[in-house]
Amino acid sequence: MLRPTEAATAPADPPRTRAVHLGVRERLAPYAFVAPFFLLFAVFGLFPLLFTFYVALFDWDPIGEHTFVGLDNFSRLLDDPRFWGALRNTFSIWVLSTVPQLLLALAVAHVLNHARLRASAFFRMSVLVPYITSVAATTIVFAQLFDRDYGLLNWLLELLGLPHVEFTASIFGSHLMIAAMVMWRWTGYNTLLYLAALQAVPRDVYEAAAVDGAGGWRQFRHITIPSLRPIIVFTVVTSTIGGLQVFTEPLLVSPGSLTCGAARQCQTLTLFLYEQGFGRFHFGYGSAIGVALFVMVVVVATINYLLITRIRSERP
Amino acid sequence: MSRRIAATLVLAAALLFSQACSGGSDDGSASSGSNTFEFWSFTGINQKADVDRYTKAHPETSIKLTEVGSTSETAQALTAALAGGKVPDLVLIQGDDLPKFMSSVDNFVDLNTLGADKMKGDYLDWVISQSTARDGKIIGIPTDVGGLAVAYRTDLFKAAGLPTDRDEVSKLWPTWDAFIGVGQRYVQATGKAFLDNAPTSVYFQAINQGNERYYDNADHKVSYKTNPQVKTAFDVTLKAIAANISAKQGSFSSGWTAGMGKGDFAVVSAPSWMLGSIRTNAPGTAGKWDVAAIPGDAGNWGGSFLAIPKRAKNPKAAWKYITETQSPAGQLDHFLLTGALPTTPSVYADPKLVAQTDPFFSGAPIGKIYTDSVTRLKPFYIGPEDGTIGTEFLNLLTSVEQGNVPPDKAWSTAMTNVEKAIRG
Amino acid sequence: MTTTSQSAPQPAGATEPRPHRHRRVSRVPWWMYGLLGVMTLGSVFPLYWMFVVSTTDSAAATSLPPRVVPGGNFLHLAGLVFDIVPFLQAMLNSLVVATAIGAGQALLCALAGFAFAKLSFRGRNTLFLIVVLTMTVPTQLSVIPQYLIISELGWVDSLTAVIVPGLMSAFGIFWMRQHIAHAISDELLQAARVDGATTWQIFWRVAFPLVRPAAFVLGLFGFVTAWNDFLWPFIVLKSPDKYTIQIAIKALQNSRDIDLGLAMSGSFLATLPLLVLFVFVGRRLVSGIMEGAFKG
Repeated sequence: MLRPTEAATAPADPPRTRAVHLGVRERLAPYAFVAPFFLLFAVFGLFPLLFTFYVALFDWDPIGEHTFVGLDNFSRLLDDPRFWGALRNTFSIWVLSTVPQLLLALAVAHVLNHARLRASAFFRMSVLVPYITSVAATTIVFAQLFDRDYGLLNWLLELLGLPHVEFTASIFGSHLMIAAMVMWRWTGYNTLLYLAALQAVPRDVYEAAAVDGAGGWRQFRHITIPSLRPIIVFTVVTSTIGGLQVFTEPLLVSPGSLTCGAARQCQTLTLFLYEQGFGRFHFGYGSAIGVALFVMVVVVATINYLLITRIRSERP
Repeated sequence: MSRRIAATLVLAAALLFSQACSGGSDDGSASSGSNTFEFWSFTGINQKADVDRYTKAHPETSIKLTEVGSTSETAQALTAALAGGKVPDLVLIQGDDLPKFMSSVDNFVDLNTLGADKMKGDYLDWVISQSTARDGKIIGIPTDVGGLAVAYRTDLFKAAGLPTDRDEVSKLWPTWDAFIGVGQRYVQATGKAFLDNAPTSVYFQAINQGNERYYDNADHKVSYKTNPQVKTAFDVTLKAIAANISAKQGSFSSGWTAGMGKGDFAVVSAPSWMLGSIRTNAPGTAGKWDVAAIPGDAGNWGGSFLAIPKRAKNPKAAWKYITETQSPAGQLDHFLLTGALPTTPSVYADPKLVAQTDPFFSGAPIGKIYTDSVTRLKPFYIGPEDGTIGTEFLNLLTSVEQGNVPPDKAWSTAMTNVEKAIRG
Repeated sequence: MTTTSQSAPQPAGATEPRPHRHRRVSRVPWWMYGLLGVMTLGSVFPLYWMFVVSTTDSAAATSLPPRVVPGGNFLHLAGLVFDIVPFLQAMLNSLVVATAIGAGQALLCALAGFAFAKLSFRGRNTLFLIVVLTMTVPTQLSVIPQYLIISELGWVDSLTAVIVPGLMSAFGIFWMRQHIAHAISDELLQAARVDGATTWQIFWRVAFPLVRPAAFVLGLFGFVTAWNDFLWPFIVLKSPDKYTIQIAIKALQNSRDIDLGLAMSGSFLATLPLLVLFVFVGRRLVSGIMEGAFKG
């Protein structure tokens, strides 16, 4: 959810607090305090992650046999048009949702940061309403709004004299529809992140720029954007990781099936994993998809790291 | 403020916890009682009618009926449960999903041990044989078969200048080609779609009219690639798609339901169990429908089985329910209530069944129409991957209808898809 | 911003800059209000429409032009919803799960955050780095082994399967550590230590009360996230009396004979508790998100 920007900073050493004699119990207390997290992480985080690699080497039927097949699942995956289709869909939905979402969030944050804006607390709350709405509810409403024959959106298009758009059944249309759901949910959230970063910019800077004759656009371009750069990188990274996990929307868009359309036109990677794992009960093949997802996460994290170090080095 | 909310939340949680826990323990003690059992069904089949009737006759019994989801979702939930969850005492399995479970019969109670051996003669041979393992174990009792027919809107037919009488309509389309022709006439006359969608209403009917489907009847090996009957059904569907006569609304989607209510298409292929779906999805169209014969041969689409998982807590109560509701008399009652066709041929000549008409469908003699189609059919072998193969063909044809796959690539794409799906 | 500054309590020593008084700031151009108006409308309309449909009947979901005035059918449809799936049970399940996760995260993260911020022990920095690193790897990709573990533990189909893994929150530890580092002076802890308090006592009597607002906001996020979570409950909760509210919505939506109007009613009912909660704590969520961004 909320994730800090530059996470990998080590904590500063606090002054020693054990001037008083400490018994064994006391000395172990810090470990006991952090133990719950590490215990949970070991059982439900680290072990499953490693075990994914192991299961991926098997033909693993949960109510039948487990047969070792080596790297067979991976070679089949690379040769599977369904996998590449899901990758394409995931990427396309990610681009379609992230780019407009972050641009809109930037604009709204800029507006919300205006010093004389009235009712700004109200607007801040209202943009956050989608965030607390569940994805399941959102999807059911949006799917109906985007319906081909009976949806509000196509009705509006018709009023404008335009032809109906086939959202659910077409590749691009279904991506647009799901991207709209993702965007609806997260724009307000990202707006608040940007707003927080904007408020960190001292107003004098803007005022000085105004005195120098810089107009609104130039202020935006030369003050707002540069000061937001780290948080923009952060939101891009989180939305990428989030984009790899899009699942509920494509699942609920086409009830009763796990493919998000007959042509798998909007099946995402996570939904493909679910279909193989819990629809078809091919645990081995599903785990291979999980490994592929892991590789992508590592790639994203690496790019993130490189970007952040570049930004740091750019600023004195 | 925050502390008060926190306190309220904690209090509420504590209350709920105690309630949830006590609820749980109630369930636990109840399901170990001899008269309570848990029943998983899928939606759209109206098992609730049977359950209500049964509990009325046996007020000491309590049945926890769950409509898990679609047929395949129910099968998935069952697989997950068999793999390590809480299993129901009784479960309804759709015919195409059954073969998969037949490959692990040990997960289910052999119903012969409860007395199925004495009643297996009551059921259509070709149906009970689907739930009979090679070694003779019976894991499912068939509840219904579909048969094949076509439901059509008389008012819309009339507006299009087509005949409305069910015999005349049946004569309009002795073959699928003729059916497509009628569709084109309808579209020309009204400018509206004729059919809900071609893949379900044409392919799923046509494929079930042959004497062999995706597996070879003799050696039980996959044969969809070479079986000419598959190709014929596939091609006639492509033809229907090309004729542009369908509303392209996937069966059971919300658009399909809405379109049915609004009369945006006039024809839906209707196995007997579909009648109930039409009735509940478009209640405003009562009396405007009728049922005609299917183009082509007799056949069957669908039908389900009741099975008892081996780890069931209360197999006895579940079995008692089966014997009573699935006896010939029980299935006849179910038919009279819902229109789903019995699997017990002894009641096919029953005056009540023969005389049964349905006012929602303009008084169509549904008993007669569907028993005709079932008694004439030629059974075929259904293999473990039948459900998967059927879904892939359906999805591919839907993709063609929706313009995502070009028709000339349809067959080759279907072959690749099916192969991938069977494998992984 | 100047007149409506955040009301949520700020941790002592937080570095949030005070907004300056506007001296020569221009008026707000009309298009800004226009943009905010559109944004607000867009954020609220889908929910409003969901409400409208759930007060009329299923035909309203597909009627064109769309219906925008609520009807009087809400109780009837709501009754149907409760009839079809064990909706009340699902509501209780969600409340149990979300409350347990929210409260558990608040407590466990405060504990670990305290240790990382104020206690010194061998391996602390390494352990903290691990915490931070786990934030980047989504748990979704290993759901299959997770399911195998849950089924080994015999937790399939129990709320425990959702609650226990949900208690793990690396972000929460990070967040609480920041707050504790800022909010609590070392002298205070030192004084407590001199008085002979144990580490646990120092945490529970001295540190935790000071960061309770931050822990509360963290718990809120945990609550909202758990309430809305879908994939994992969908995998491990199989029988309807164990469904959380989101899974119950799915069950409503995909049944063949059950129409969209009912699914909408269910969705609305499922969202309602959070909307009510939002009225009370929305401001704190807003400031929570903004602080979160800040601390990073």
